[in-house]
Amino acid sequence: MDRPPPSPLLLMLLADARLPTAGHTQSAQLEPATVWGLGVSEVADFIALRLRTVTRVEAATAVVAMHHLRAGLDVAEVEAAWAARTPSPAMRATSRQMARALRRLVCRLWPESPHLAVTGPGASRAVVLAVAADSAGLAPRDLAMLVGYDDVQTVASAALKLLPLDPADVACWVLDALAAVDALATEVAPLTLPSAIPAAGAPQIEAWAESHAVTSRRLFNA
Amino acid sequence: MPDSPTRSLRVGVCGPVGTGKSSLIALVCRELAAELRLGVVTNDIYTDEDARFLRSAGVLDPDRIRSVETGACPHTAIRDDITANLMMVEDLEADFDPLDVVLVESGGDNLTATFSPALVDTQIFLIDVAGGGDVARKGGPGITRADLLVVNKTDLGPHVGVDPDQMVVDASAVRDGRPVIALSRTDPASVTALTDWLRRQLASHRTGDLTPADPGPMAPHSHGDEPSHTHGQGDDAHHHDHAHV
Repeated sequence: MDRPPPSPLLLMLLADARLPTAGHTQSAQLEPATVWGLGVSEVADFIALRLRTVTRVEAATAVVAMHHLRAGLDVAEVEAAWAARTPSPAMRATSRQMARALRRLVCRLWPESPHLAVTGPGASRAVVLAVAADSAGLAPRDLAMLVGYDDVQTVASAALKLLPLDPADVACWVLDALAAVDALATEVAPLTLPSAIPAAGAPQIEAWAESHAVTSRRLFNA
Repeated sequence: MPDSPTRSLRVGVCGPVGTGKSSLIALVCRELAAELRLGVVTNDIYTDEDARFLRSAGVLDPDRIRSVETGACPHTAIRDDITANLMMVEDLEADFDPLDVVLVESGGDNLTATFSPALVDTQIFLIDVAGGGDVARKGGPGITRADLLVVNKTDLGPHVGVDPDQMVVDASAVRDGRPVIALSRTDPASVTALTDWLRRQLASHRTGDLTPADPGPMAPHSHGDEPSHTHGQGDDAHHHDHAHV
């Protein structure tokens, strides 16, 4: 192509659930939460909780990783900071699995990316998202919005499979969550240091992730 | 796909719920495990029931049987977004290198679900006599264009009032020469027909002569006295100025 597509279009591409990265296999821990007893009326709170905790860690990690990639710094330190803030082995495994799926696609979309070589099979999803965002020419704030928005939509679309409800209600949840996504992006966009990544765990979500990893009855991978 | 010519033959097994996909895979494993290095990927919908069934059947090392969760989207996982299945197939191939054949079992779906040719090299579509004698006539991409159609459980024909031979005739009529096997676990000749077909597919794969073909989304059809054809797929895509009926 003569000119790269404008970054807003590339942001839409990366945020599209139709992107073949196995997103349909994920519930962002909503499935174990519903098994535990989380009801329809609590899903919006679940989304908000994730945005304040695990998703905030992922968004900040992605932003700091993109800074490191663009500045020619080693991302190993970013990976270590993310892992230290993601105490659930199941959640780390899921992130790395999703990273692998995303990395396959990035290899097809942007094979020329210089960062594919430095983000191998063990990379976290946040770091591979940073590689994709770098190729797409996204700003740090766009990348943080992408992480937040994708998490909200992952929970929302899984809710349609797990709970009896009106799909329009789910769209309303997503709309209502956008302010929190925006605030999250504003908070983490300026970060450049691994040590600045918030350590915001959610022990109940982590416990759900662990229990889901060993159950024999599940619709979603995680 | 940038695949190595020495990687395994990837075989898709799909068809409606209850037609015998897991049993067919167990049968293939039982017949061929001593001769070929096999792996299995299942796509269960609610549980890992199919994977557990196959492991408990004792026909294959349990670690060679892996399950993929599809998020209640079994159709997506074999067609629109094959990522999860491809990664699992590659993991099996890496863990048990070299494998001869990896069988990928779709989550039981409907008559329209078929595998992407980017996921499997060849695919088997199953229907069964207990599902009704009219299923073969209803057609659909799997029935008309899968590499192999299996009409399963032929031994049940007398019990469900269905003539298996007629089902095979009906199916063959819409398959343009593609193979149909009337299968029963209790009929050794039909089992041999199935395993021989698989051996031939593997041989073609190894010589580089097997080109993955997409069965769907549209079945071949004809307009009056024209020969039957398909639309928008590969070399035979063409334009029309008339409506389809």
